[in-house]
Amino acid sequence: MMNSMNNIMKQVDDVLNVLNKEVISNRQFAIDINKGDVHQALTYLKSIGFTQLSIITCVDLIADNKFQLIYILNNWELGLFVIVRTDIDRDNPSYVTVVNIFPGAKYYEREVHEFFGVTFEGNDSSFKPLLLEIWDDIPPLRKDFDPQVYSDRKFEKRDSDKIYRSKIGGVKL
Amino acid sequence: MVLENQDNRNLWEKIGDYFSANSIWMKWYCTGCGAIELPPTMTSRFDMERLGMGPMATPRQADVMLITGYLSTKTLRRVIYSYEQMQDPKYIVAFGSCTINGGVYYDSYATINQLDKYIPVDLYIAGCMPRPEAVMNAFADLISMIKKGQANGWRHYQENYEWYKKNQLDSLEEVIIHDEFHE
Amino acid sequence: MTVMNFVYGFIILLAAFIFQTTITGFNRKVTARIQKRYGPRWYQQFLDIFKALRKSSITHGWIFDFGVIMALGGIMATVIFIPVAGFEAFPNMDNVYIISYLLAIGMLGMAMSAAGSGNPWASIGVSRALTNMLAYDIPLMIVIFTLIFAFDTASVSEIAAMQQGMGILGWNAIRMPLGGIVAFIALFGMLGKKPFDSFIAPAEIASGPMVEYGGKHLGFMFILHELMTFIEVSLILNLFFGGGSSILVYAIKYAILYTLVNIISQVMPRYKIDQAVKFFYRVPLVFAIIQGLVVIFLGWGVSVWF
Repeated sequence: MMNSMNNIMKQVDDVLNVLNKEVISNRQFAIDINKGDVHQALTYLKSIGFTQLSIITCVDLIADNKFQLIYILNNWELGLFVIVRTDIDRDNPSYVTVVNIFPGAKYYEREVHEFFGVTFEGNDSSFKPLLLEIWDDIPPLRKDFDPQVYSDRKFEKRDSDKIYRSKIGGVKL
Repeated sequence: MVLENQDNRNLWEKIGDYFSANSIWMKWYCTGCGAIELPPTMTSRFDMERLGMGPMATPRQADVMLITGYLSTKTLRRVIYSYEQMQDPKYIVAFGSCTINGGVYYDSYATINQLDKYIPVDLYIAGCMPRPEAVMNAFADLISMIKKGQANGWRHYQENYEWYKKNQLDSLEEVIIHDEFHE
Repeated sequence: MTVMNFVYGFIILLAAFIFQTTITGFNRKVTARIQKRYGPRWYQQFLDIFKALRKSSITHGWIFDFGVIMALGGIMATVIFIPVAGFEAFPNMDNVYIISYLLAIGMLGMAMSAAGSGNPWASIGVSRALTNMLAYDIPLMIVIFTLIFAFDTASVSEIAAMQQGMGILGWNAIRMPLGGIVAFIALFGMLGKKPFDSFIAPAEIASGPMVEYGGKHLGFMFILHELMTFIEVSLILNLFFGGGSSILVYAIKYAILYTLVNIISQVMPRYKIDQAVKFFYRVPLVFAIIQGLVVIFLGWGVSVWF
């Protein structure tokens, strides 16, 4: 197994412009690539057997003022995962959609847009809300969003032991 | 506000409350992690059918709604819909600390903190999560409350509808569900 | 036809409701014991019905309300014509045809009302219920026509009376064993018991036709269900298991038959509706046709044993 992964890693290294590669476990490795090479990388990886896009997600690297987009692909025949990482600008987060390579990316991109505010050009449905029904603040998984403040503003806290019009049953306190 | 202890029901309501107390149908809508406490409560070890309780499929048929743990804002909209579809008299039992003060989700951007501001809770079960013994004990409490005519949160909801609606709208902005798959 | 006929009819109606609801309550306890539970009180079914009647209810249009009344009326009218141990409210009117036609009024009322609620689950449930009816009715009707051919009468009480006097050997289920098997299997379908309960499947289609009923409507539906169970079990009991020479014998046989069906159904999984139809058109239909041919061409089991 290790051999086939090494082969694949070598192959990927030869073909793509990999900035940095990292072995995570004996079935999983990660590659960092340039922002412009992601579509080429995904197309190539799909052609060598990584046919399933497991997830698209995002990490907020607030210290570097960057968002890291993460594409995890799965090869069912070899049981291998590859993690494709790329950095994008945090101030104007925008990227190009990959739905023409993996149609299922439509919903992952909606989710990333909803929780991080990254817009995906070419995927119009990514602007629609997916999980949050009505949202009126900055995207909630950004590091500068404070959930405590939001929760205090929206949801009233119980400030005393008084319980409104009901009683506590079950285990007697 | 305190529980109303004076009993001003007429004879028919007392008879009706006897039937209601001894035949409680639950709505089978699992909102949180506490739902996993219900299968042991229903099956052979604790057997809630002894008390005349059982699961029902739809809110129209049900008498009691169990809020089993944390409620996200998204679920709360559905819960309000379901609660308003239930037929009177109807009761709400809330499980666990999440419904009382938010529990471990006290600072979450998606879960509410204090359930009784939004819908009238008749009985809270403390614990995270309450074990089936506590759930059975609470059901026994609920039955005695119904027999005494104290479980009238549904009536309170009708009388203070504006107050509840205001709280709901403050937190949810809109109770109407917009769902791309159903419109 | 005098006033007394109507009084008798009312007595039969009331007795049927109380008896069947009690039996249902006991069977809930039997079910619980099969599942190693203690089970509810024996009168739990009464509490459930009266509780449902006590609750408020809303309407989904007049078809929804009218369908419930029509179904309950049709079923109540059918109960009056059921002969119980030779006791009939309206003598000489207990014809198989009358009973099956009146029963259809109840079924159609229920279908109409459920469809009137506008809920898609209800429509799915109703279509499954009617498909299920079509599935069990054809084998059962072939066997019942065989009986009518064999005994030259369509009166339920006369067919019941002809089976008495020889003990268990006189029962049609023993004299015509294939027909008896078909009738017993069809009883599961009629009662909506477990292999054939895809039309109420609570976890799948949210109890099907019952999905929008709440409060008083649901109470009426429960009463209707009890009376319908009484009609169906009584029909099979009278036609195939010899009815009863006295009320007591009838009640005991009835309880045993219903409990047996319930016990068997508790260990069954659920057929999908297409599987149920395939099953009924494969095994019971073939049995029914063989039974019909045997009775028509060989005459076995009609007047004497072989």
